[in-house]
Amino acid sequence: MSGFLVGWLAAIPAYAAPLLLAALGLILSERAGVLNLSAEGVMAIGAMTGAAVVLSGIAPTLGILAGVAAGAGLSLVFAIVVVVFRGDQTLAGLTTVAVGIGLAGVLGRDYVQKPFAGIERFGADAAPATGAFERFFLQQDPLILVTLVLVVAVWWFLERTRAGLQLRAVGEDPGTADVAGVDVQMVRIAAVVAGGALCGLSGAYLSVAASHVWVEGMIAGRGWIAVALVIFARWDARRALLGALIFGAAEALGPRLQAVGAPVPTYLMMMLPYALTLAVLVLSSLVGRRGTDEPAALGSIYLRQDKS
Amino acid sequence: MLDGLVITRRFDTPTWLLALVFLAGIAAGLAMATALLVAIGVPASALFNEVIGEAFMTASGLAQTLTFATPLICVGLSAAVALRLRFWNIGIEGQLWLGALGATAVALGDVGPEATRLPLMLVAAALAGAAWIALPLVLKLRLGVSEVISTLLLGSIAFLFAQHLLFGAWRDPATGFPISLAFDASERLAALGFGRTHLGLPIALAAALLVWFLVDVTRLGFYGRAVGENIEAARAAGVPVIAVTCAFVLLSGALSGLAGGLIVAGTEHRMSLTLGAGYTFSGIVIAFLGRFRPLATVVVAVIIGGVFTASDVFKVFYGISEAVVVLLQGLVLFGVLVAQFFGAYRISRANWGASA
Repeated sequence: MSGFLVGWLAAIPAYAAPLLLAALGLILSERAGVLNLSAEGVMAIGAMTGAAVVLSGIAPTLGILAGVAAGAGLSLVFAIVVVVFRGDQTLAGLTTVAVGIGLAGVLGRDYVQKPFAGIERFGADAAPATGAFERFFLQQDPLILVTLVLVVAVWWFLERTRAGLQLRAVGEDPGTADVAGVDVQMVRIAAVVAGGALCGLSGAYLSVAASHVWVEGMIAGRGWIAVALVIFARWDARRALLGALIFGAAEALGPRLQAVGAPVPTYLMMMLPYALTLAVLVLSSLVGRRGTDEPAALGSIYLRQDKS
Repeated sequence: MLDGLVITRRFDTPTWLLALVFLAGIAAGLAMATALLVAIGVPASALFNEVIGEAFMTASGLAQTLTFATPLICVGLSAAVALRLRFWNIGIEGQLWLGALGATAVALGDVGPEATRLPLMLVAAALAGAAWIALPLVLKLRLGVSEVISTLLLGSIAFLFAQHLLFGAWRDPATGFPISLAFDASERLAALGFGRTHLGLPIALAAALLVWFLVDVTRLGFYGRAVGENIEAARAAGVPVIAVTCAFVLLSGALSGLAGGLIVAGTEHRMSLTLGAGYTFSGIVIAFLGRFRPLATVVVAVIIGGVFTASDVFKVFYGISEAVVVLLQGLVLFGVLVAQFFGAYRISRANWGASA
């Protein structure tokens, strides 16, 4: 039993990290008022780029960075469409998903299903662990530690820095922020691009660190879970960490139970994150109408001369 | 930095300008797509032959295009009907899965006499699709929960439910694959004798006519336009907003469910896990490019069906992933999104310093 428990707990971070990274990225974007549904596509382009770079004989670390850059690049297109050209944010987000998945599939055709040596877990070439803590720790990888640092960094940036305050002001009341001298459009573009970099990192984690291979459809809905996770976390980085662990635990439980031969309704259990998020949505609207934590200007188009 | 220009909403964009920016957006999107395909090794001449020639000018290609178009018409109508009320149905795939499951349940369970089996399957598909959108509808109307997220979440849940059944109780024991048993002959829509086209095509066209009648001719459609334009004004004018919203949104769900029913009864003849992917985005693209008009939706659905056919050719001859379909649709939509800016807003030189 304790063997199963340690195995399960040790597997959770690798499931939680990509969800958390993408959710942190979406939080940056949405706290600045840009509704962001693009994660699934941005992660796809990050995963493909990371794998393609590593398969070309470049170090895995640089592969990760390339995935980050690719995610930021695709998000820049999304940001320009919604911020400069005032495109509908829902539609533009869905379109970014389509373009990301499409580009990854079309440009990545030479890299499909080719295993490579990516970023290894700590225990990759160590002797089999004995203690429970050791067994847990050796299952983790460097990027999981980076993810934890990023949670703190995003929270600290949003809540404790002047730039973070400006970002939140733009998401709550762009008109007032504008009067106070904040460049609303630049802040929104920067927030979306930074968020895209994190989504790209999340995708690159999946290919370069978690699987050491890239296949089409690899993101498999994790981007949509991240969108749900942001609402679950009510746009707070700390609660996103908690939510990612819960979602990751739910995701990891099925395979672990199967590994020990227990009959489990795997697919029904995988519904858990979605059902939980729906429950959170319903609860938060029952408590305070429209959920008080939602950035007030989320999804709205800002024109300086509109009176609010 | 970007405040050097004054952007004001146009309250009355001339029709010629709307048409111009719309066509310019499509052209820009197609230009991007062409450049990309040429860059990855498809000769430009072949591009034209493949898309126009193969997908629309040969009998086999046209039949394939119309087969693809059949469910696309339904999901395009589904998205259009909901978007007329500014209701974002991002769960089209979920309702399609439920529709396919509903039709399959009737077929596998041999419900009712054989003569009424097919109609019953399609009715079950439409009802299952409508039922699946009912929860987001209620949450939106009663609690103000955003339908963007709730329909999306239920879409994922529906797909997992389909996997649960096909990896479990419904799996065809003869194969290792997650597919159901094949349907009996009485549970398959009749072929039209033109490629793989089937009775689903006239059914989809009839659905389009019905939707056109409902939303463009009847009082319900008039009310729907009022709600979509300005919900507060509609309510003040005595339009039954709740009833109209329910009618439109449930119709949207039913159309997506019907698409699933037509796919299993007309093309696949069994339930599988590969039949529903990508329909949400295609439906929204079709509705958007068809300007939310039911009959224009049919035309756009056939064109997108042609893109599906052409992608099969690309895959066979140039080894290009079928992801090219979603990429092409995405690029065209990006083009239109950007171009519409120039129709919706008037742009002039700023002089904030002098006026403020």
